[in-house]
Amino acid sequence: MRKPLPLFTRAFVDSWRSTLGWAAGLAATIFIYLPLYPSIGASPDMQRLMDSFPPELIKALNYDQITSGPGYTQATMFGLIGFMLMTIASVSWGAAAVGGDEESGQLELTLAHGVTRTQVVLERALAILLRVLLLVALVFVLVRLLTDSAQLNIRPENLFGTSMLFAGLTLLSGSTALFAGAVTGRRTYGLAAGAGVSVLGYVFNAVGRQSKDVDWLLNLSPYSWAYGNNPVANGADWAAAGWLWGISAVLVALSAVALSRRDIGT
Amino acid sequence: MPPDQVNTPGQVITVDSLTKKFGRREVLHGVSFGIEKGSVFGVIGPNGAGKTTVMRCLLDIIRPTAGISTVLGENPRTAGPALRRRIGYLPGELFLEGRITGRKLLSHYADISGPVRPGRVDALAERLGLDLDRHTRKLSKGNKQKLGLVQAFMHDPELLVLDEPTSGLDPLVQQEFLTMVREAQANGQTVFLSSHVLSEVQQAADTVAILRDGRIVTVATVDSLREGAVRHMRFTATGITAADAAALLAAVPGIGHLEVLPAGDGVELSATLGGAIQPLLQVLATLELTELVLEDPDLEESVLKLYGSIRGTGSTNGVNGGNGRRRRKGHGV
Repeated sequence: MRKPLPLFTRAFVDSWRSTLGWAAGLAATIFIYLPLYPSIGASPDMQRLMDSFPPELIKALNYDQITSGPGYTQATMFGLIGFMLMTIASVSWGAAAVGGDEESGQLELTLAHGVTRTQVVLERALAILLRVLLLVALVFVLVRLLTDSAQLNIRPENLFGTSMLFAGLTLLSGSTALFAGAVTGRRTYGLAAGAGVSVLGYVFNAVGRQSKDVDWLLNLSPYSWAYGNNPVANGADWAAAGWLWGISAVLVALSAVALSRRDIGT
Repeated sequence: MPPDQVNTPGQVITVDSLTKKFGRREVLHGVSFGIEKGSVFGVIGPNGAGKTTVMRCLLDIIRPTAGISTVLGENPRTAGPALRRRIGYLPGELFLEGRITGRKLLSHYADISGPVRPGRVDALAERLGLDLDRHTRKLSKGNKQKLGLVQAFMHDPELLVLDEPTSGLDPLVQQEFLTMVREAQANGQTVFLSSHVLSEVQQAADTVAILRDGRIVTVATVDSLREGAVRHMRFTATGITAADAAALLAAVPGIGHLEVLPAGDGVELSATLGGAIQPLLQVLATLELTELVLEDPDLEESVLKLYGSIRGTGSTNGVNGGNGRRRRKGHGV
């Protein structure tokens, strides 16, 4: 009779175009960047180029190990383009899930039906989680597929661990956007908060790596928690993954509490 | 909060001293009213009077600052989804998502509301002349409103809460809507609707609450409003002077706005009648009438009188009456 998880189903199914679009973007990025590794990253010219750059720049861009396969994949895919694409996707989904829906006036009608506010937040968060996991799974599969032909030399367990960190990092910015949207009922605040967490995390990482005096900034950077020890080369820091996923889960719970406690559409 | 609800038997909605503040601005100042089971209850008032706020409180979309309300025997604040499944709600401003057909959207709402009989959605859509296979973003305002009505009516809820239900609908569809409301009533459902268009409430509702600036000005049956309402009349008669005609008419109880003009060998006279018709007819029977128009009573005018009566203990009263009259003439007869 009654379908299980109706809000989840709707959030997930209705966004298939968007999910597919992001999947295509990620796939394109992987197919463009990774096969170039043997001719760019691994070439002696690259090493010379890196040597000519100021070390501060190298550190800021996380290019320290770009001449190795795992370092190259870390720096280009997980640390830069992939990180950017997934963050944008996750933040836009998070901001739209409650704040955007309320701002457009549609949440009111949904809540007038037989659902609770907690259910709305949890089911929509679940839809975001599933989309993020699907995209990260796609990244995992494609990188794995190219590992041999692009001579990346990445160990599967490290790739898996990195993927989990990548998902956690993305979910953290998405759940921040969800939370800010649920508290304020405005999509823009959700976008700003989600993007803020990501950008600040990235900047704190870039600055914190410059010297011992400012390395405390790394503690404030989710980006650094995830990628600080070069997980593609060295394996995941599972505690960091736990923090990223755990904080995301707490933010989702807080979103449900915040939404349940206030007036809608005012 | 006291656990007890003001549960008057036979009432589907009971609202007691409902108060709502947004920040420091109080928009509802202790609103109280009750709606009998199986009735059609209309709330009218100008924009910003608080109609939408009252309805949103009943659906637990916003929470009152003070006061208690009971909906279908339960407190909407704590009753949860089970209560809302028994209600059909049409928001005052309806926004519907883009890339989905009306049919899919309705099927989603059916998943999160009470059970919908098979074929019910198509039947309603056909009655309202709504194409369910178009994307909602391509629908006109009127068609979106029809979709909103279908989602409110489709699960045959015990209670319908409709905020400005006919906004954007063309007159034929408005008539169909009125029929749907009457059928719902015949079916034992209760309807609570709002409007700033008085004629809509006049046609649909048994009882009307007039809300102004967050207060109920009055709750009255449509019939009693009609009795207190003003009729416009005008006639031409021959063989009488203007002065005599004026004197005759002025003696009729409830006559106002008397204007008499000489016309040929008789008079042309217009006036308003605020009381019973019989005394007027007795006077008219003594005249040589060549033309007589006695209009339907105008609820709008009687409501404007009520607005005027609370606005003004001051001197604005007469001005309001004048406005009402001019407005009426503007409508044409």
